[in-house]
Amino acid sequence: MSTPLYELRGATRSFQMGNSTIKAVDDINVTIDKEELIALEGPSGSGKTTLLQLLGALDRPTSGQVFFEGRDLASLSDGELAELRLRSFGFIFQQFNLLSTLTALQNVEAGLAPLGVSAGELRERSLAMLAEVGLRDRAFHLPGQMSGGEQQRVAIARALLAEPHVVLADEPTGNLDTKSGADVIALLTDLAARHGTTIIVATHDAGLAARAPRRLTMKDGKLATDSKKTRAAAKKR
Amino acid sequence: MFYLSYLRSELLRRKGRTILTMLGLALGVALVIVITSLSHGLDQAQKTALNPLSSIGTDLTVTAQEEGYGGGAFANRMLETNLASLGKAGQHFSYDTFSAGTQPSFAQSQANSVSSISGVAKIATGLTLTVTHQEGKIPKITASFRTGGQQINVSGQTKRPSAADLAKMAACLAKQEKKSSSSTKTTATTGGQSSQSGSLSGQGQDQGGPGMFGGGAAMRKCMPASMKRFQKTITTRRQTLRKQVNTPQTNIKTSTYTIGGVDTSQTDMGLITKTQVSKGRFLSKKNAREALVANSYASSHKLKVGSTLSIKKTTFRVVGLVQAPLGGQSADVYVPLKQLQTLAGQKNQINVVLVRASKSSGVGAVEKKIKSALPSAQVASNKSEADQISGSLVTASDLAKSLGLALSIIVIAMAIMLAALLTLSSVAKRVREIGTLRALGWSRRLVIRQITAESLTQGVIGGVVGVGIGIVAAAVINSFNLSLSASSKVGNSTTTGGFRGAFGATQSAAQTTTSQVALHAPLAGSIILIGFALAILGGLLAGAAGAFRAAQLRPADALRQVE
Repeated sequence: MSTPLYELRGATRSFQMGNSTIKAVDDINVTIDKEELIALEGPSGSGKTTLLQLLGALDRPTSGQVFFEGRDLASLSDGELAELRLRSFGFIFQQFNLLSTLTALQNVEAGLAPLGVSAGELRERSLAMLAEVGLRDRAFHLPGQMSGGEQQRVAIARALLAEPHVVLADEPTGNLDTKSGADVIALLTDLAARHGTTIIVATHDAGLAARAPRRLTMKDGKLATDSKKTRAAAKKR
Repeated sequence: MFYLSYLRSELLRRKGRTILTMLGLALGVALVIVITSLSHGLDQAQKTALNPLSSIGTDLTVTAQEEGYGGGAFANRMLETNLASLGKAGQHFSYDTFSAGTQPSFAQSQANSVSSISGVAKIATGLTLTVTHQEGKIPKITASFRTGGQQINVSGQTKRPSAADLAKMAACLAKQEKKSSSSTKTTATTGGQSSQSGSLSGQGQDQGGPGMFGGGAAMRKCMPASMKRFQKTITTRRQTLRKQVNTPQTNIKTSTYTIGGVDTSQTDMGLITKTQVSKGRFLSKKNAREALVANSYASSHKLKVGSTLSIKKTTFRVVGLVQAPLGGQSADVYVPLKQLQTLAGQKNQINVVLVRASKSSGVGAVEKKIKSALPSAQVASNKSEADQISGSLVTASDLAKSLGLALSIIVIAMAIMLAALLTLSSVAKRVREIGTLRALGWSRRLVIRQITAESLTQGVIGGVVGVGIGIVAAAVINSFNLSLSASSKVGNSTTTGGFRGAFGATQSAAQTTTSQVALHAPLAGSIILIGFALAILGGLLAGAAGAFRAAQLRPADALRQVE
């Protein structure tokens, strides 16, 4: 059996809020395999974003372990984590998080620049990626000059440029109208399928969640339901 | 290169903040440059003004003690010009008088006694005099009236004689007749007949009418006094009346300036030396009719190199402009010593001996030796001259010394703080952006590098702008021709001598020399470099502060920040 993409063992992330300790992610044990669309469901404040950050090596668990492709993220240095984020993870945010002073093209380039490829290659690949998300003609526009849907497509291009193993999307449609949201999801799933990328998407969107082969539901920082386990249990029965 | 285009975009698209940060640094740098060059300029001005002797290659000056009260015979001398002796009224005249001021002259040979004192390396002699120059039209001073010399003739007729008068006359005549005949007898007996004959014939003629007027001595004798004709010529006494008319209104101008006779045999020591020449050249050794003019005097009298100066009707050509040292030995105009001695009629006379000690540490000892060898001499050292200098220059210089450095530090610290604050606030606003970069795979090092590069760029541009502003500001200060005054009392005397001009016009020649020292803000390359370096340092410090803050954050925490 091959190494799973992720393996979480008792992963916990707690925050100190004055005198009380809040466990945003509380003792999660889960294994995630490659080439899956995973929907992460749960009400606001249930810990979806924190879990995504643990998965994306943006944060370290206060206790427990997060294994990515067999490596314990806690054992890696800051530099190694940065390398991992650059090559293996792609992030998509609810607020798009484009760099406001940079054009669409420059924003996409920012996602690959630390790799050290030549300026020409960087530009070429970025323009190709923008073309893939249908924004070739918006390459020199600033984020402020684009619609929310367009901005999120730029963010998708940026996240996928380095051909990451995993795309971690945190409510990508949360700030978009239904139509743009659907377009964005279609684009994302399509691209992920083509590039062989695993997508873990935190969402409130039931429609999107319904399309996901695997659905994880969180509640108060704990993993409430896991559709894979449910199915396995059903099979056993 | 992506990072550069990112940097460029970042700076260009956040213009307001970029400009503010750059201006902060630029102003800091400009202020540092201006303050530094000003205090540098003050230092230079101070050196020329406060070391009056060392600038002319001298350690000590020896002058003769003033005699008596109030600065000797010359100091309070009345200067009276007999204008009438200069020419006719209405004629233009120009007249120069030399006076010794507070430094009495002495024979040049006395300088030898100073040079023979041990520890004296070299001496130079000089003669500093005050020239009173009067120029204008000779006024009409007097009015002359010639009186007398007329001749007065008086003539008139007397009255007819009365009968009594006639009778008296007749009796008188008869008596004369008798006398006459007897005398004829006497004459006849004693001989000399021929001489008597004329007289006899005359008498015969008179006989014709004794009652008639005129004719005959006897007749004249017997006429009553009243009948004699009255005639007299009176000559009045000759006299010339000279009367002084009211004080004339003329355009006579009186001006005074100091003139120094320079020992031209030496160029590195003397009343003025080669190093003070700011334009043109130094006096030649040929005792030519050449003059050096102090900058301040030249500018107030519109003199330049090549101009001519007339001193006591002798024409001197201005060969150079000089920055005259302050103190008792300064002068407005310098000419070769021999020329001045001739002009002033003071052959072989000097009034100062400049002394250079063989060792700078030996100055005090030499000073003592000269004092004991020449008890009547007055010896002044650099320090004692400097102590007598006061004025805005000294104040400004003291101020610059105590405040300049502190001010520079405060200014640059404030500029750096401002830049740091702006960078910090920029970083605070960009925390989410930094979090995003981290999420995209940017290492901490890359993020710090990017932010520092931004600040550094602002520092470099701010530095360039600041250096530019600083250079312009310094140029503006230089173009204002600011001057600071430094005053020095001449000699030890605090007496204010007065020169009385002709016609009682009083004019005071104060015995303090005030020198205007031009304040420059010289821009040294090092100052510009330092200013530039400070801007870069400021940018770096500011960037480091921001980058440190950014690097502290975990990407997750950065992303959590709400914009």
